[in-house]
Amino acid sequence: MPEDKTIRLKIKRQDQPDSKAYWEEFDLPHKPRANVISCLMDIQMNPVTRQEKTVTPVVWESNCLEEVCGSCTMIINGKVRQACTALIDALPQPIVLEPLTKFPIVRDLQVDRTRMFENLKKVKAWIHIDGTYNIGEGPVIPEKQRAKAYLLSECMTCGCCLEACPQFTKNNNFVGASTISQVRLFNMHPTGAMESEERLETIMGDGGIADCGNAQVCVEVCPKKIPLTESIAEIGRETTLQLLKNLFLK
Amino acid sequence: MGSITKGQAHFLLLKIHSLTGLVPIGLFLTFHLLVNSLRTVGVLPYQWSIDVINNLPFLIWIEIFFIYIPLLFHSFMGFYITQVAKMNAIRYRYPRNWMYVMQRLTGAVVFVFLIYHMGTTVVPKIWNGHHLFEAAPFLIEVMNQEFATWTGRIIYLVGILSATFHFANGLWAFCISWGIIIGPRAQRNASIVFMLFGGVLTVLGFATVLEFSLHPVDVEPTLKGAF
Ligand code: HEM
Ligand code: SF4
Ligand code: SF4
Ligand code: FES
Repeated sequence: MPEDKTIRLKIKRQDQPDSKAYWEEFDLPHKPRANVISCLMDIQMNPVTRQEKTVTPVVWESNCLEEVCGSCTMIINGKVRQACTALIDALPQPIVLEPLTKFPIVRDLQVDRTRMFENLKKVKAWIHIDGTYNIGEGPVIPEKQRAKAYLLSECMTCGCCLEACPQFTKNNNFVGASTISQVRLFNMHPTGAMESEERLETIMGDGGIADCGNAQVCVEVCPKKIPLTESIAEIGRETTLQLLKNLFLK
Repeated sequence: MGSITKGQAHFLLLKIHSLTGLVPIGLFLTFHLLVNSLRTVGVLPYQWSIDVINNLPFLIWIEIFFIYIPLLFHSFMGFYITQVAKMNAIRYRYPRNWMYVMQRLTGAVVFVFLIYHMGTTVVPKIWNGHHLFEAAPFLIEVMNQEFATWTGRIIYLVGILSATFHFANGLWAFCISWGIIIGPRAQRNASIVFMLFGGVLTVLGFATVLEFSLHPVDVEPTLKGAF
């Protein structure tokens, strides 16, 4: 056990995308209100392990430091979450840090989450603006719908829901809960609805909505409390209707 | 409709997997447990029901197209779906995640059980040429023997429980996948209703096992001179 007023971090490190992972332990003096990122910064300034060995500083990603960008997502004591809001005093020691397991590793705790952004592009997770012609002003959105959309729009593409999803693996093409929820968000927007059929057709393919196995872990781990299982069921309904339309009306 | 892309085929296969779990397999399971539970009412109603089924016109085609092909398809897709995913309920211990694991586990148990169940009933029936009115007394005799030992009883109890759980939990998943129930509260209520339904099916199955175990009966041939 680390002595009082010492923080022990156990970090899973990896030098290259395809090299072997190894563990290193760091002891740091306790600071009040420290979080995992501030500890990583301390290590960066003085990268000496518990065994007094000087090593390369640990690499990680972070940006907003207030849980809105999602870039600092990692596995902390076995659970996927954001490092910037992981307060040291609330965590049992030693604090174990691991990179996400469902994305390619860049180095140490930094992973490549391109797959998430590619999936958002695939489903056109945006609202079209005027192109060569004016598509006009959007209609007023009822308050209730706006509130619902706001909830969905809080997704920060952090990847927690994908990391914890048993159906999302490195070997398949599943787009995961966040992408499905974004399809719902943009389909419910009056202007976004103009592309709703394209979005549904994309999600009715390899790695789409049918690949979800209803384990509902996504909704448990989403730091933004996005109603992901409701989004999945709603897109389930929209795709069922689209399927019927394709079968009987086209 | 033009030709289908690979992605669309993938989607449709998963949708058909989901659909076959409900119709015809789930429907058959419900019907099968219901009819068998007639045994608790009396031997004669049970024997008649088997006779009616075994004398249906085009029975073999009904069995092939409404039971065997959908069941094989659902099973192989089921194993494929299980194999491409990576279960993690040890790390993420949420009730729904356990149900997800159980859905796959019970599917595999049912698959093994069905091989055994068909091996002791359908295969000898066909092998020994017991058709039409001869089938009922023959099958009841087989069942008497199945339930004569504790090994046999436990195999059936596990098989039935796995099938009813898999079906009940599968109905819930079906309703979400197809967008029939949506909100979190609706999903929770539906899971309660489907589990109650699964409970009823389990009781039907267990009562039949109990009846066979406690009161094995000698059956008369349905037609004189048969056997
Ligand atoms: C008594 C026979 C069976 C019945 C009544 C049955 C019924 C069902 C139902 C209703 C579903 C829900 C479909 C959905 O998720 O939309 C389901 C799912 C599933 N079944 Fe079966 N099934 C049976 C046998 C099997 C067998 C033998 C396997 C082989 C492993 C299997 C594997 C699966 C799997 C893996 C799922 C989950 C699919 C998913 O959620 O993505 N089932 N089943
Ligand atoms: S419900 Fe389960 S399988 Fe579907 S996206 Fe969420 S965690 Fe993954
Ligand atoms: S849905 Fe939630 S867990 Fe998933 S990426 Fe968005 S914010 Fe993260
Ligand atoms: S740094 Fe942006 S979420 Fe943690």
